[in-house]
Amino acid sequence: MHMSIPRVLNRKNRILLSELTKTDFKLRYQGSVLGYLWALLRPLMMFAILYLVFSKLLKIGNDIPHYPVYLLCGTTMWSFFTECTMQGIQSIIVRGDLLRKISFPKYIVVVSSTLTAVINLLINLVVVVVFALINGVAPSWHWLLVLPAVFELYLLSLGIAFLLGSINVKFRDITSIWEVIVQALFYAVPVIYPITMVAGTSTLAAKVILLNPIAQAIQDIRYNLITTETVTTWNFIQNTFIAIIPVLLVILLLIIGALAFRKKSKFFAEEV
Amino acid sequence: MKREIGTRTEVQTNSDVAISVKNLHKSFNLPTEQAFGLKQAIFNRLRGIKGYKEQKVLKGLDFDIKKGEFVGIVGRNGSGKSTLLKILAGVYYPQKGEIIINGNLIPFIELGVGFNPELTGRENVYMNGALLGFSNKEMDAMYDDIWEFAELKPFQDQKLKNYSSGMQVRLAFSIAIRARGDILLLDEVLAVGDAAFQQKCNDYFQSLHDKGQTVILVTHSMESVRKFCNRAILLEDGKIVLDGEPDKVASAYNKMLGIVEKTK
Repeated sequence: MHMSIPRVLNRKNRILLSELTKTDFKLRYQGSVLGYLWALLRPLMMFAILYLVFSKLLKIGNDIPHYPVYLLCGTTMWSFFTECTMQGIQSIIVRGDLLRKISFPKYIVVVSSTLTAVINLLINLVVVVVFALINGVAPSWHWLLVLPAVFELYLLSLGIAFLLGSINVKFRDITSIWEVIVQALFYAVPVIYPITMVAGTSTLAAKVILLNPIAQAIQDIRYNLITTETVTTWNFIQNTFIAIIPVLLVILLLIIGALAFRKKSKFFAEEV
Repeated sequence: MKREIGTRTEVQTNSDVAISVKNLHKSFNLPTEQAFGLKQAIFNRLRGIKGYKEQKVLKGLDFDIKKGEFVGIVGRNGSGKSTLLKILAGVYYPQKGEIIINGNLIPFIELGVGFNPELTGRENVYMNGALLGFSNKEMDAMYDDIWEFAELKPFQDQKLKNYSSGMQVRLAFSIAIRARGDILLLDEVLAVGDAAFQQKCNDYFQSLHDKGQTVILVTHSMESVRKFCNRAILLEDGKIVLDGEPDKVASAYNKMLGIVEKTK
């Protein structure tokens, strides 16, 4: 007899999502002289420092072909993960004024803020590809296989943002706690050191590290983009049932995050 | 604590009822502690303290609003008017009760929601339009009219932070009146700007009234209630104390406040 209106991505929500994403992106670089260039410069500068310290001073990774690009690729993906989760977790508070005054699906706020990170990543990936070509990596159809791994990393970030973001509304400590966790995670993921270094001392430790979805995604991207000599979860852990764990973790986290968010989002307007 | 949840449903039917509200209750949990964080929450849990106090804002409202009615909602500060409007708009969840919205509802809880001082007037117009559900293309089409109405055309590429508050409200109002919906919810957005602009606002409300638009208007201005509304609801302490003729409700409200009315 009557038709219910709410649909997940109806026209109105799509318009809102794209406009919020645009605004977020514009505001990020407002009032800076170099503007959008910062989106490129930040990861490049981080890469320059890490390259100098780890590759030139500590002589790590000299046995990996195209190591500078390998490193740049890792730091780029890592920056994406941290930016995506940080922005996502804080988005509900940042957009509190909207939530308190109009009614719309709350996930739009989280997704729009993480999409800004996706735009940044796409720009940065172009830089990585250019560097790869300069460094002598041969272009290949395998490059397309980077996309599923990037998507997986995005879903992971989204799951974390939904879960922690909804708790963060009431307990603002979450932002600080997540900052610390991210710092620790950085060393638990083979971004600046090659996983072979760990495998040399303990195979088990290397396997545990590779069961982390972030590590799995980054290694997959390096494998497909830079060198097939990359150690990945799939070629290091023979048992497929164990190797699939990172992917399952991402799905599980996304489901938990979405459920928690759906439950809590009803009260965001009152609590934010 | 497990919170009860009422229902709010949006439908599209031929029924002549635009909004139906049954036994609506709402309370807020106000934190009693000043500190707000994980440590306090754990402390409270250990000590068995709730950490908040329940404040009842709406205590069982029942009313139907028919299509074409221009309803004024009046009441003192804290009587629950704005909370009611926010629940109708879908911003707050009803704690108990049932709400049925029949038709496309456009809420204006506040003018210029989403306005950002760091963006230009132009960018803000598109952003604000998106919140009303207008695509870029649709905004292109009405863009000039908006600036014309606001009388701010020379400032369109200035950042919003360089606008005076009066200019901002005028711009927001000019965008808001573009919204087309079956039901409009308005919270105190009457009469903004200088006298000349107020006249434009008045004309707009008169036109809504004349064409039989369904409107719910929260206001403190009994003059507006008498002029535009064909029904008014008086709220006091979260309950409806009077529902009917705008003139009677306006008098009752003034009496409640102890305002002596001049006899005509």
